[in-house]
Amino acid sequence: MSEVYPSPASERDTSDETENIDLVTAVNHTLHQEMARDDGVRIMGYDIGPIGGVYRATEGLLDEYGDERVIDTPLSENGIIGTAVGMAMAGERVVPEIQFMGFSYPAFGQIMYALVKMYDRTGGDIEVPLTVRMAYGGGVKALEYHQESTETYYLHTPGVRVVCPSTPYQAKGLLAASIRHDDPVIFMEPKKIYRGGEQSVPTDDYTLPLDEARLVREGEDVTVLTWGAMVRHAVAASEAVDASVEVVDIRSLSPLDVETILESVKKTGRCVVVHEARRSLGLGAELSALVNEYALDRLKAPVKRATGYDVHFPSHDIEDDYLPDEERAQHAIEAVMSYEF
Amino acid sequence: MVEWTEHEPPEGKYQRLDADGQLDGDSPAFDDELLAMYRTMVATRTLEDKMLNMQRSGEASLVARSRGEEATPLGCAAALEPDDWIFYTYRQNPALLYWEYPMAEIVAGDMGAEPETVAEHLDTDEPEVNFSPDYTPVGVNTTNAVGMAMADKLNDHETVTMAFIGDGSTSEGSFHDAMNFAGVFEPPVVIICQNNQWAISEPSHRQTGAETFAKKGEAYGVPHERVDGNDIFAVREKAEEAVERARNGEGPTFIECVTYRMEEHNTSDNPDVYRDPNEQRDEWEEKDPLDRYETYLREEGVLNNDLAEEIEGEVNEQVSAAVDAARDVPDSGPERIFDHQIHGEPWNHAHQRAELEREQNGQNPFTDFDGEGFDE
Repeated sequence: MSEVYPSPASERDTSDETENIDLVTAVNHTLHQEMARDDGVRIMGYDIGPIGGVYRATEGLLDEYGDERVIDTPLSENGIIGTAVGMAMAGERVVPEIQFMGFSYPAFGQIMYALVKMYDRTGGDIEVPLTVRMAYGGGVKALEYHQESTETYYLHTPGVRVVCPSTPYQAKGLLAASIRHDDPVIFMEPKKIYRGGEQSVPTDDYTLPLDEARLVREGEDVTVLTWGAMVRHAVAASEAVDASVEVVDIRSLSPLDVETILESVKKTGRCVVVHEARRSLGLGAELSALVNEYALDRLKAPVKRATGYDVHFPSHDIEDDYLPDEERAQHAIEAVMSYEF
Repeated sequence: MVEWTEHEPPEGKYQRLDADGQLDGDSPAFDDELLAMYRTMVATRTLEDKMLNMQRSGEASLVARSRGEEATPLGCAAALEPDDWIFYTYRQNPALLYWEYPMAEIVAGDMGAEPETVAEHLDTDEPEVNFSPDYTPVGVNTTNAVGMAMADKLNDHETVTMAFIGDGSTSEGSFHDAMNFAGVFEPPVVIICQNNQWAISEPSHRQTGAETFAKKGEAYGVPHERVDGNDIFAVREKAEEAVERARNGEGPTFIECVTYRMEEHNTSDNPDVYRDPNEQRDEWEEKDPLDRYETYLREEGVLNNDLAEEIEGEVNEQVSAAVDAARDVPDSGPERIFDHQIHGEPWNHAHQRAELEREQNGQNPFTDFDGEGFDE
């Protein structure tokens, strides 16, 4: 498969050996690499062993590292996160897998009570360096609760980082950085693009910062803020409209790279947010508020949000009507371009 | 060869019908239903095989079959009476078909239609037993079932609630909460663990350190049974006892039905990756619930070749009609997205509905700049 991701200079390094891989393979290779690099890294979850995960993200790890480092668990998200927190308190570096973001709700208690609070309530004494991998997002005709993009619950929560890659290159660098970081991280994997094309990725390990947005495409007229599976739609829309569009991949959803976001919006004077989560209180709401609070006098148009609707994820036959796509992103860009005070 | 994936030897369960189709003890009390139950098993296999074909050809999205496990949901559901409730998950088609849940609705749901669209376009009767919507998240239904049974007890209703879960579900917190409440409040609930020994790729010994799943009832003060889940007579007998106890105000029962998942978890799963397909297959084929039952019925003279052919023909016709009806359900209108979110229509829904309509018409949905509608 040819390389379908736009590869800006920052994602190309000809001095390194590279391999063409898709996003889920990048996750898999990163897990292999981090487990080889650090004996303290263990992975936990169900179906992660012989089967290699329902999406094959953990394929081959059990054979290589054994069942004390690849821990196939009972079907209990609360049990997985709760015991992973305990293991982390004992000095382990655990990477639990929650099979689908919509399965994380049983674990919400442990996430809220222990995972995100431990560092604060011990005055910084106890670190909980978990990277909780969760496949998220719709568009794959899956069952209910298998299509969720409910990152807002975690974005609203202090004490945890939320990270979301949009390319194989991003996935590898961000996952390695998350695993090595001493904060807990919710690592959202856009399953719609797990196998959505390959990209040339360095075979050596590298990390990407967890607090920086990524400039995907430079432009002068309007800024599109987006992340994950929606980045490709934003890029396609920006190429289809009659305007110079800057696309920023938020990448680190919490904490936000406010500086990059405001700098871009102040430059272009217009802002569109494209996300697949429900609109009300989705991250777009925070981004819009941010722009209003700190860049109002530079705005040439209100911020518009091209998002999912404020409804439960619908059945298969209309899920494409729910999900934002290139067309919806394009409309939002054209709307803010057409606005005059 | 690993015969059992949990911790108890095979003999530790209640059985009436052996693998050769020989019934131990008295004839069952439900003689008049013997053929109806046979028919339900045949119908389940025919329907699920048809749905599998539809999935392979892209018509249906995802299919979870109950092949080899039919006796458990069938025998348990058959123990209920009209107006009782079933809280099921995704491997209980025999329970649905026994109570004449509309087959076309099962197919249409699997083809991905919104429930409102299905209800509008299928002429279907309500089954005599009430069914909750099927639950995808594991274990959640047990707590809801206990709550319904608690309400029935508080209101002096005589209905019984039955919940179906798999072995993996007993690891989830909701299951433990349900069992604890059931033990404390003693509502008329029967919780069935359909232990098919696999939760996708996880064998059942990865779900519990207990000798059996049935013993999970012990700590909660909930009476429990362990039954050969491929033996329709044993399953039905124990389920009837539990239902009767519940209806008599004697509280909950937890029943583990030991069976085996012969095929994949669902059509997005490939079990060859994590289990040797031949490891237990022959053994469990010998224990097949339909074969055993059919042998018994033939030996009793209840079933013969002509009758079997007649039933097969009827079932094929019924499945074809259901598939045709389901295929006639049109795609949902996109505006269905907003149906049944909450009562009434708040501003955000009204506004987003208008946006969606404009998008469908090729117009720009983002040109409302004052919150009052759209400037054309």
